Amino acid sequence: MISDKTASLVHAPSRQLPNSRVRQLAYWGLQLLGWGFHFWAQASGEVVFAAVPWSKAGTLWGGVYFANVALTDLLRRVAKRNAWLEQRPGALFFRVFVGLLLVSLASFLITTWISQLVYGTPVAPIMGTFYGKLSARGQLINQFISCLLFDVMWVAIYFGLAIQRHRHRTELAHVQLGKALQAAELRLLQAQLNPHFLFNSLNSLRALIQDEPARAQQTVTHLARSLRYTLQANDEHLVTLAHELEMVDDYLALESLRLADRLQIARDIAPDALQERVPRMLIQTLVENAIKHGIARLRPGGTLGITARLASGELLVTVSNSRPMDLTPDAGGGVGLKNSAERLRLLFGSRATLHLDLSIAGQATAEVRIPA
Amino acid sequence: MRALLIDDEPLARRELRRLLSSHAWIQIVGEAGNIDEAQAGIEAHSPALIFLDIQMPGGTGFDLLERLDRPPRVIFTTAYDHYAVKAFEVSALDYLLKPVEPERLAIALEKIRRSTSASGQGANMPLEQLFVRDGPRCWFVPLREVSVFSAEGNYVRLEWGRERPLLGRSLTALESKLDSRRFFRANRQQILNLEHIQEVELGSGGRLYVHLRDGREIEISRRQARQFRATMGA
Repeated sequence: MISDKTASLVHAPSRQLPNSRVRQLAYWGLQLLGWGFHFWAQASGEVVFAAVPWSKAGTLWGGVYFANVALTDLLRRVAKRNAWLEQRPGALFFRVFVGLLLVSLASFLITTWISQLVYGTPVAPIMGTFYGKLSARGQLINQFISCLLFDVMWVAIYFGLAIQRHRHRTELAHVQLGKALQAAELRLLQAQLNPHFLFNSLNSLRALIQDEPARAQQTVTHLARSLRYTLQANDEHLVTLAHELEMVDDYLALESLRLADRLQIARDIAPDALQERVPRMLIQTLVENAIKHGIARLRPGGTLGITARLASGELLVTVSNSRPMDLTPDAGGGVGLKNSAERLRLLFGSRATLHLDLSIAGQATAEVRIPA
Repeated sequence: MRALLIDDEPLARRELRRLLSSHAWIQIVGEAGNIDEAQAGIEAHSPALIFLDIQMPGGTGFDLLERLDRPPRVIFTTAYDHYAVKAFEVSALDYLLKPVEPERLAIALEKIRRSTSASGQGANMPLEQLFVRDGPRCWFVPLREVSVFSAEGNYVRLEWGRERPLLGRSLTALESKLDSRRFFRANRQQILNLEHIQEVELGSGGRLYVHLRDGREIEISRRQARQFRATMGA
């Protein structure tokens, strides 16, 4: 028995790269090592050239070390959380530039503050050894530029690597998406070329030829159009709802031939929805499922309902059908429905959904939402 | 020969009826669109032959065969389920692929005509074969080839060559349908095929032990021993 009566068929993709832990370690290794090098250069320089004791130089640059590690990591977190890499190049550059200035300014202020505490002067002694001839204000400006320089290096390395990796991943995802879509469409084609349906239709046709030649001719037309539409499954991903429904009608004409008065059809299509684009064969797959798993299995047959309307920026299509009361394993429709959900995900991501509602006994409703 | 057409599609039945019209010796006694109608039709008209579709609303052709005590001769008609018919391990039956080719139909009917003179399963005749479905496999089991029927709960296990299919009926229900000249209730658990006996051994306390050709040994209960002697002596 199915305990969860409403099966959600579209899942958000959640893929964690297996080497994410390795990248995390590499980042922290470089981060600590890189700023460690900065600490060593500044502190040892200060001891040698400004002849200050290690304790004081170590305190100043040790404090600055932790500040730099924390500040640049904060910049990384902000960039990640706000998905800077997804931005257009200009917007990305602007954000990185502002972030760089803010981080450098903070780094400068902290350096100045600790220097004041340790040495009683805002300019670190190492600045004095290099820029002794400048005014106090000039030395402070150079202290800021020194901070800025190291942060520029950090930003260049970090964002350089990140942008490259992001571009590579985007390309890969694009290729994978195309491939997955192709595979899904191929599976659809195979499923659609339903031999049971095809040969039964041919058998009905044979019965009609002698008694009802006009109806036989119509049937050939329906069958040819339906087959052609199916075989062209990978021509275009999207078609207008109007076109898709036309093809559904061809298919239903053939099913009506087989099921005779066991198949009742109720349509409710809003005219303004007809020009919206839907994945090719999507509605036909749902209709086929509704007949195969629902109406065809009922001795008295049943009613197939198709509705379509636009609501709050979405195209809402439902296909409902009567179904047997006993829930056999395939009552949820199998491959066809999963495949449709997969195609929707590949084409629209999480903006499209497909739900099969089996909460009412003897009734099944498939509901599709597609961004209009 | 009386025949019943069973298919859920009216057009398919119409087509088959027309194809059969050129075989005057086949008399169509009725049509059915699902297995309940089919069962009623078979009970009412007792046809000697049924044309049977597999996929139908409310139950498959196999479900129908399982319900019948004495299934008539069967020709399956199927659009694409011939693999299902091929699941028959040993079968005296045929299948036709839809759309049916007139030549194939003629061949199948000829086969039926040749074999029916040999075995008729009339209502008053003893049962000759059983339709047995065990899991995905099914058989028409010729009863003369079964050595022992053993009760397993409410079911019956058939000892039939290398196969041991399970039949969904009770041993007592089955016993009433069997030919009493050929099959003997040896004890509460078993019915044996007298034609498969190789040797009878006298045990202690008046018990009888029967050795069958396939190597099985069956004990005849003391209650049945007297009747067994009478049957064998006759």
